[in-house]
Amino acid sequence: MQLLRIISQKYRLILVNKLQSQCPQSNLSPSWLFKGLLSILRKLKSAPDQEVRILLLGLDNAGKTTLLKQLASEDISHITPTQGFNIKSVQSQGFKLNVWDIGGQRKIRPYWRNYFENTDILIYVIDSADRKRFEETGQELAELLEEEKLSCVPVLIFANKQDLLTAAPASEIAEGLNLHTIRDRVWQIQSCSALTGEGVQVRLQEDLATWQHDS
Amino acid sequence: MGCFFSKRRKADRESRPENEEELPKQYSWDQREKVDPKDYMFSGLKDETVGRLPGTIAGQQFLIQDCENCNIYIFDHSATITIDDCTNCIIFLGPVKGSVFFRNCRDCKCTLACQQFRVRDCRKLEVFLCCATQPIIESSSNIKFGCFQWYYPELAFQFKDAGLSIFNNTWSNIHDFTPVSGELNWSLLPEDAVVQDYVPVPTTEELKAVRVSTEANRSIVPISRGHRQKSSDESCLVVLFAGDYTIANARKLIDKMVGKGFFLVQTKEVSMKAEDAERVFREKAPDFLPLLNKGTFWMIGILLWLFSLHADLIYFCL
Repeated sequence: MQLLRIISQKYRLILVNKLQSQCPQSNLSPSWLFKGLLSILRKLKSAPDQEVRILLLGLDNAGKTTLLKQLASEDISHITPTQGFNIKSVQSQGFKLNVWDIGGQRKIRPYWRNYFENTDILIYVIDSADRKRFEETGQELAELLEEEKLSCVPVLIFANKQDLLTAAPASEIAEGLNLHTIRDRVWQIQSCSALTGEGVQVRLQEDLATWQHDS
Repeated sequence: MGCFFSKRRKADRESRPENEEELPKQYSWDQREKVDPKDYMFSGLKDETVGRLPGTIAGQQFLIQDCENCNIYIFDHSATITIDDCTNCIIFLGPVKGSVFFRNCRDCKCTLACQQFRVRDCRKLEVFLCCATQPIIESSSNIKFGCFQWYYPELAFQFKDAGLSIFNNTWSNIHDFTPVSGELNWSLLPEDAVVQDYVPVPTTEELKAVRVSTEANRSIVPISRGHRQKSSDESCLVVLFAGDYTIANARKLIDKMVGKGFFLVQTKEVSMKAEDAERVFREKAPDFLPLLNKGTFWMIGILLWLFSLHADLIYFCL
């Protein structure tokens, strides 16, 4: 999972956008964006312990909590369906990742909006082997991308459960979800198996190097 | 499969050389043998008795969908199972490593063991369950639960293969995501419910080869009362520490105690570190620390109800 690449892309995108005001937020002028961006960049470069808020969403049974535990290098053999939410802080090379894992049952999805504010990255988890619910998960993702409080927030889509027999490859999921039509933010899709840990690794050094070089 | 990046503008693409330099990743799912998904599903069946023998699923994912009036027996361990749009079916599922998820099902009777048990948009399910975590239901009604009760010779090893402990079974305390005031969407099956009346032993030639028993005293998973009405206010906890014969001894102990008229409430198998032992056993902890094998050990806790016996905590060291 290229978390830091997403972060660096996000701020590159905002830099590019600052004069074009492509971020659809009517109450923000480009100069505000520019000022805010510079202060963020300044913080990221100088202060080592910068906090990043990550929101983990997706349908119930997608594998969000398993992913969360995997990120925190914890035991994943005894995970219970999430009734409210889980939160973990993961320290990663000077970055403190605050990861919020919210329960995905249909009944409690209306509560997702309580967690939107100040999200730096949205991670959307999909059970790649539950084809019966592709339409439902596509619908939920589309609605999330329309949310004002999540506008411009980069989204990282995890095509999870690749270890299972009927798992659709990331390319098929990307096509089915029409990800190529996302124009208002940085997005990325990544195949993974939260259970085995594959695809979940954060390639920090490479991403940080890229980011430092570009800015 | 690889990663797909948003292609913002040409300028951006050029400034991201890592896109083109990236080598195609080799994940374990790219390298494994291809299997035909059709061998791992029952779909669109009506009035049939079907099943899978031990060794034929071997930890793969399995799908059950659009079945009516069927008897389905999965006599093997699997990764995860979804059951969609099934009506009036009898279903046995061998140990499932991940989740069992029933969606849009009606009038089904099941016996199954799993890590997570999920139900959505279902009506009238009767389930003899072994579940390692709290079962959940959503937008469903008339869902009834009893304790897993089943035996066949290969079953014990299948539990191991699925990473499930026969002692970790929270079948009786269900979380309902859509409770209705004044009603209960779920309840417990009567304690004297006979499994054979709900999920009978299969009678087809192929499936008869699996030597199944539904007798309570032969069940691989000890029958526990869980959250059933208390018959007594007195209880005792028995703790067994890891050893070669611990599981066998725990079963023997349970059988003996139940035979004497005790009620098994709950069992639990846990790994403990030294700090945990100190917290649980407090001043008695030093007696058990020598049993620790390189910092961690596991134990089986057995909680029993007693009639007219006074006891605090019984220690059982093996």
